[in-house]
Amino acid sequence: MSLLDRKLLRDLRALQSQALAVALVMACGLAMMIMTRSLMLSLETARDTYYEQHRFAEVFARLKRAPNSARDELAAIPGVARVQTSIAIQVTLDIPGLREPAVGLINSLPERGEQVLNRLHVRSGSLPAGRTTTGELAVGEAFAEAHGLKPGDRLSAVLNGAKVPFRLTGIVLSPEFVFEAPPGAALPDHKTYGIFWMPYRELATAFQLYGAFNNVSLTLAPGASERAVIAAVNRVLARYGGRGAYGRIDHPSHRRVDDEIRVLQGLSVAFPLVFLSVAAFMTNSVMSRQIALQREQIAMLKACGFSNAQVGLHYFKFSFAIVAAGVLVGTLGGIFLGGRLVEMYHLFFRFPRLDFLLDARVLMAAVAVSALAAFVGVAGAVHRAVRLPPAEAMRPEPPASYRPALVERLGISRWFSASFRMSLRNIQRRPIRSGLTCLALALATAILIVPNSFRDGIAYVIDFQWDIVQRQTVTLSLVEPGPARALADFRHMPGVVWAEPFRFVPIELRAGPITRRLMLQGLPERGTLSRVIDGRPQQLTLPPRGIIMSAKLAAVMQIGPGDSVTARVLEGREREITVPIVGLAEDFAGTAAYMERHALNRLLLEGDTVNGAHVVVDHGRWNDFLDAVKRTPRIAGCIIKDSLREGFRKTTAESIGLLQKIYLLFATIVAFGIIYNSARISLSERSRELATLRVLGFSRGEVGAVLVGELVLLTLAALPLGLLLGSGFAKGILTAVNTETVRLPLVLTAANYAFAVLVVALASTFSALFAARKISEINLVSALKALD
Amino acid sequence: MPASTELPPPEAAAPRHGGEPVFHVRGLARIYGEGTAAVTALAGVDLDLCAGELIVLLGASGSGKSTLLNQLGGLDSPTHGTLLYRGANLAEFDEAALTRFRRDAVGFVFQAYNLIPSLTARENVALITEICRDPMSPEEALALVGLADRMDHFPAQLSGGEQQRVAIARAIAKRPEVLLCDEPTGALDVRTGITVLDAIERINRDLGTLAVIITHNAILADMADRVFTLSDGRIVTARTNARRGSVHDLAW
Repeated sequence: MSLLDRKLLRDLRALQSQALAVALVMACGLAMMIMTRSLMLSLETARDTYYEQHRFAEVFARLKRAPNSARDELAAIPGVARVQTSIAIQVTLDIPGLREPAVGLINSLPERGEQVLNRLHVRSGSLPAGRTTTGELAVGEAFAEAHGLKPGDRLSAVLNGAKVPFRLTGIVLSPEFVFEAPPGAALPDHKTYGIFWMPYRELATAFQLYGAFNNVSLTLAPGASERAVIAAVNRVLARYGGRGAYGRIDHPSHRRVDDEIRVLQGLSVAFPLVFLSVAAFMTNSVMSRQIALQREQIAMLKACGFSNAQVGLHYFKFSFAIVAAGVLVGTLGGIFLGGRLVEMYHLFFRFPRLDFLLDARVLMAAVAVSALAAFVGVAGAVHRAVRLPPAEAMRPEPPASYRPALVERLGISRWFSASFRMSLRNIQRRPIRSGLTCLALALATAILIVPNSFRDGIAYVIDFQWDIVQRQTVTLSLVEPGPARALADFRHMPGVVWAEPFRFVPIELRAGPITRRLMLQGLPERGTLSRVIDGRPQQLTLPPRGIIMSAKLAAVMQIGPGDSVTARVLEGREREITVPIVGLAEDFAGTAAYMERHALNRLLLEGDTVNGAHVVVDHGRWNDFLDAVKRTPRIAGCIIKDSLREGFRKTTAESIGLLQKIYLLFATIVAFGIIYNSARISLSERSRELATLRVLGFSRGEVGAVLVGELVLLTLAALPLGLLLGSGFAKGILTAVNTETVRLPLVLTAANYAFAVLVVALASTFSALFAARKISEINLVSALKALD
Repeated sequence: MPASTELPPPEAAAPRHGGEPVFHVRGLARIYGEGTAAVTALAGVDLDLCAGELIVLLGASGSGKSTLLNQLGGLDSPTHGTLLYRGANLAEFDEAALTRFRRDAVGFVFQAYNLIPSLTARENVALITEICRDPMSPEEALALVGLADRMDHFPAQLSGGEQQRVAIARAIAKRPEVLLCDEPTGALDVRTGITVLDAIERINRDLGTLAVIITHNAILADMADRVFTLSDGRIVTARTNARRGSVHDLAW
């Protein structure tokens, strides 16, 4: 090791707490970048591998019923590679020990051979044998986990009105259900909704569908146009009650995974960049100070024959050592936190394997960016230092020149104390550095705002979605749409206090080239249970004509009130209608369109038809009500609001909550790092001045006040700027993570602002206390000595 | 050359003026470190310094003169011996009491001036007058050192001699009992050095402040009432000048 390198190590040791502060800030930015980018890579890789190995289809369609021979028609469509037909039927389940009725989507397994597409992955146990035995089911992992089901356990399902006992043979995963959510729901509820598989013959026989199918998946031949194939499939299935084919982009499970990747992408760039910029600034301030302190040493080195390049390299090494520490800590932190998040993703994305994969390219890019930041941060100071002729550098720097601060010229300076003037003039003498410090402090404040705005947004969504919008206890849906008199039956169920009917119909909305599949919800004109709420938030009255749609959906489709959209009805006889948009609704989970129910009935050319009701149930008679639901075969589904809310809390809220905690930790580290670093540098630069004041009879406290005065002034200026910047960051990041499946509103609370101010104030106090401790260590005698 | 009487210590350590001494020093020792690494900076100094005296401490680098000044100024505590200020034992002062002592009783002048660069001359002085009991106004203090017309200049706009005179004004504005000057002319050329010494002498004469100047420049000895030479932490010679020479008559 060269002696210069040995000097480097010792200098680093002497500067360790500051170097550590810079390295930690850098590590936070890197960890965040590595974590999010690696998670994206992990999810994408797991998804792509899974899709490929298990042959996830590319086009999907549901229909009422088609004979198996229609399969050949579909296979004959140009551009279709493989076709898989099956039966998928929603049934009511009876799980031992579960009071609430659960709903299962039972899919058929092929009568012969393995599935061509959407192959299952058997996690444990086996698939039902089919040929010889009956009464066997395979269950999806999420539902099995929620209920602690194992192969060999028993449950009952109501098949076409008859309760049939089943034995579970195995726990499986399907690429179609990476994310298991009930149809039309953006949120999972593993307690009351599960996916099952059973042999075709048994399922088909129970529902009089033998020799037919109601579900089809297919893959495309290379180069085939998805659009053309979808159109052809729709033409074929029109005769069989097709409900509209769709590609992967509209596949609910696929979209949910995609949206999560999009959220990560939104988080992976802007925020880490802010951190890395702050780290670059901190590197610059630490190194500038270090180089200023070593002015004479630099002169000596040059006088002794070291070249500018050697001296420059020495100081670059210094900053690269900090970068190396930051990269190491950041990478380890990113891997650790990414690993934690992967574990959490496993709870709501069901992949056969979801391993954490380190995105090496991003790691490399991050190292390069940090090294560049450090280089830029140091280059100026090194250049100034090596440019100085040795003889001049050996002499102490001339006294810095000052002038009265701008504010003093307003004539109010006589009210300022001498120490306050010192602070003002110090700030003004180095406007760029003061500005950057102020900006760094503002950033420290700002980054504290973002994670808490996530938390407040989640709390708002939970309140909004399930207290303001949805006020029912449960949502009951019928097996088939039926006459509105079913409402009277609902109202007569035990415990039902109030019921409001709805008519949901799947539609495909089209505006220009953009299409979206969703539920068109026919609701009472001004219901009291499931309400349509706008952004203010106030309830909207559904007009007799036209639809109200989610504001997010309107934004995605680039349409708004006054425009018309084409809606293709995907139920029963296919038909297209054009409806005007009359308003925008605020909602945060999934997207929807709303219409007055009778208007929808008219549009569908049907009578007073409903397919379910939102119901308020008296809690005292809850069990009676649930028993009645289980006894009513016409009820296909029963969604309990509180379990949805719980589902949201456990998945979306938990994942965002974990990110929020990580961000908050990082933001706090950065806030402390910036302030600590500023105080240290200020202390170092002014130690002689402060020692002089001590000798002249200033107490430690008075000297401390002089030292922190500048920091306090800068902090005071930075706080409002930081709150403003933070609000902007929060808005930007929430916009970036705003997807069609889940959105968070921008909620900025006084508590959030207060917290940011508090953390920065605490960090300042901590730094001030630290500085005060250092002041007592100042060697008073040193002040008497001439500058060395 | 003024007449002088050479006397051996410790008798010469007695003040020429009568009355209660400002500092009463006996057997003062300061040892840094312990055991084999121990360094003796002061090895038993006896002194009595009175109000109105101008004292010059001579000595080579490492002779202990700065250590002695630090002890007198309350910047450091003795290892052994007695150090009384107006009868009070400085060694027993705690941190707060030492701060009060420096604030109210001591005026320091440093070789490197140690002005606050961000404050003007007037403000540098006001910084001190804001915190002490019965100060003169900054303007009055600056007028005493002949800087009445440079009060609103920043240190960077002043010459070295002017900066040092601001430092003196800062030291005397509190009407200190003792003015401690550490190589006050060390960084100055002869001509400016004279203006600075002139200011110190005038303060000493007009305000009756005890002034202690440490220097390695033996020529300054002639302006003193008494001169002590230190070597290896002891006073090796002490002399009392029969008559103080004028600063302007010093043989540079």
